[in-house]
Amino acid sequence: MLDKRLVLVSGKGGVGKSAVAAGVAILAQRHGLRVLAIEMETGHGLAAHLGMHELAFDPIEVRPGLHAMHMVRSEALLEYLSLQLRLPGMGRFGAVARAFDALATAAPAVREIVTIGKILWEVREDRWDLVVVDAPPTGQIASYLRAPTSISELVTTGRIRGQSEWMAETLADQSATALMMVSLAEELPVMETREALGWIADTEVVPKPTVIANRILFELPEGIESSGLVADMESLHRSLVSDQERWLAELSADLRLPKLFGLFTPAEVAAHMSDELEAML
Amino acid sequence: MTKTILVTGSGGVGKTTVSAALGVEAARRGVRTLVVTVDPARRLADALGIADLGDEPQPHDQEPNLWAAMLDSAGSWRAVATRHADPEVALRLADNEFFKAASEHFPASQSYAAADQAATFVQAKAWDLVIVDTPPAAGGIDFFTAPSQMADLVGGRLLRWLTGGPLPGRRFFYDRAARPMLRVADTILGSDLLERISEFLLDLRTTYDGVASRGREIERVLSEASILVVTTADPAPLAEAVRFYRQLPAIASMPDAVVFNRSLPSEWANAQTEVGMTAIQGRLVDSWAAETLRQGDAREEFASRYGANIITVPWSPSSPVDLAGLRTLAGAAEGISWEQLLPSQDQS
Repeated sequence: MLDKRLVLVSGKGGVGKSAVAAGVAILAQRHGLRVLAIEMETGHGLAAHLGMHELAFDPIEVRPGLHAMHMVRSEALLEYLSLQLRLPGMGRFGAVARAFDALATAAPAVREIVTIGKILWEVREDRWDLVVVDAPPTGQIASYLRAPTSISELVTTGRIRGQSEWMAETLADQSATALMMVSLAEELPVMETREALGWIADTEVVPKPTVIANRILFELPEGIESSGLVADMESLHRSLVSDQERWLAELSADLRLPKLFGLFTPAEVAAHMSDELEAML
Repeated sequence: MTKTILVTGSGGVGKTTVSAALGVEAARRGVRTLVVTVDPARRLADALGIADLGDEPQPHDQEPNLWAAMLDSAGSWRAVATRHADPEVALRLADNEFFKAASEHFPASQSYAAADQAATFVQAKAWDLVIVDTPPAAGGIDFFTAPSQMADLVGGRLLRWLTGGPLPGRRFFYDRAARPMLRVADTILGSDLLERISEFLLDLRTTYDGVASRGREIERVLSEASILVVTTADPAPLAEAVRFYRQLPAIASMPDAVVFNRSLPSEWANAQTEVGMTAIQGRLVDSWAAETLRQGDAREEFASRYGANIITVPWSPSSPVDLAGLRTLAGAAEGISWEQLLPSQDQS
């Protein structure tokens, strides 16, 4: 995982993908890598797991060697346009960006290419050894990962077409990119994960994902002989584990992360997560 | 009058199960209830009797006061075109590749479609109570602002951005030399794409009057609804619930209550490892006591900071798969005032 340039973390909403992304970023940082963590969604999930209130488009150093940023599409677009076109005058520039944004709302893949393009541009930078992305949830990530391919189908001329080719190559490159799919041992996350694995295998836009089963309860041996409250706890625990086994059987996970008990803040969760990942990798 | 309850909260907290349990209990109490849900787990859909996934409300075969329906946001987004545009334009829109892209890209469009469908059920006046399990898109807050965002979208914000001025006629787009930003877009995207998008946006604009007036109706329905925020005591969903409590009063109304799903019995918090326990028993006790303790703290903090009514729903070992299971879950909920939550019977 840590020898890649780009780690994308996705999963159904609520499975803990921000926690895993933060855990990977912190782990990489502890191993001395220069890391950029990117938050794609508006929920501030990654920010909270990195102990921050919120993040901005400009990366800030959240701990030594670990920078973090929040993806803002309009900013990414402005940056792209200024690099590509060297337009003078910020007033007009804003209008150009808005016009482009309007196009991006209506045109498939144009919108996604701006953000996935910004990510891949950072991957190319010498500043970072590893870029970790708290990516959009499973239901939306397809349009991002496919954007470079679909854009070359949609755009026949235009400068973006040429750029989309190296983007597609980087995403599909096994030595550069890893996708972690976080799931729980529950029906809906397992079904979504299986669906995603299916289309990824078909399209090969990214290498085969690493599947992570999160919040896995420890198993209980037979014959504990509890009584009172402990028996109630054992009973709940056992029935949760039996449900869990059923869905784990359908998931074929590469890694299992334990359910963490009694933690209060997202930052605590992320710290434990990086310890668990460390032990596993 | 039909009462509406909007059930919001972040993904994975059991919003759909809570909505279903509320609906089942309301129906048991004689309230004609429709539960509108998005993407339920298979077994829950079975329990609600909507296994064949229809977006038309279906009566439950065992509970005469209960109906259930699935929201189909893709379908009702298509309905935006057929309902609000001329037949000829509607056909052109439905075929347009950008129409589909815009429905996927514009997060508000899915929420709008869901809100539109839910409002239609409320306005039908066929039920005493409509419980809406809101889609989790964009944090759920989106659901409340979608009607105005949608009107803004089709009303030409995109067109104005393209032109940087007043709304243009069709000819405008062919006069590219006068518009540097269109030349920029040409350079990057190619001119053919730009033309196709412009045609599409001009067609879309013809739906504006319809979408705007429908949007006002939907907003009225949403503003009169009761809101429940569902969460667990896990840090991430809890942060989301806090955000709802901060933001909802300004854009909709103060939530009626926060529902802590998967709550553990409060006496577990005091459980301690005792002499004679095996290591695994000790681990069991430590783990669940710590979890219970944290849940209690989370509820207390929420109640004191936001003055929120707290409803707890117990952690049921496996998710309910039938009517009886949902009934049991509703019966085990604490802190809930059914009289306040449900419409009074004498109106029906």
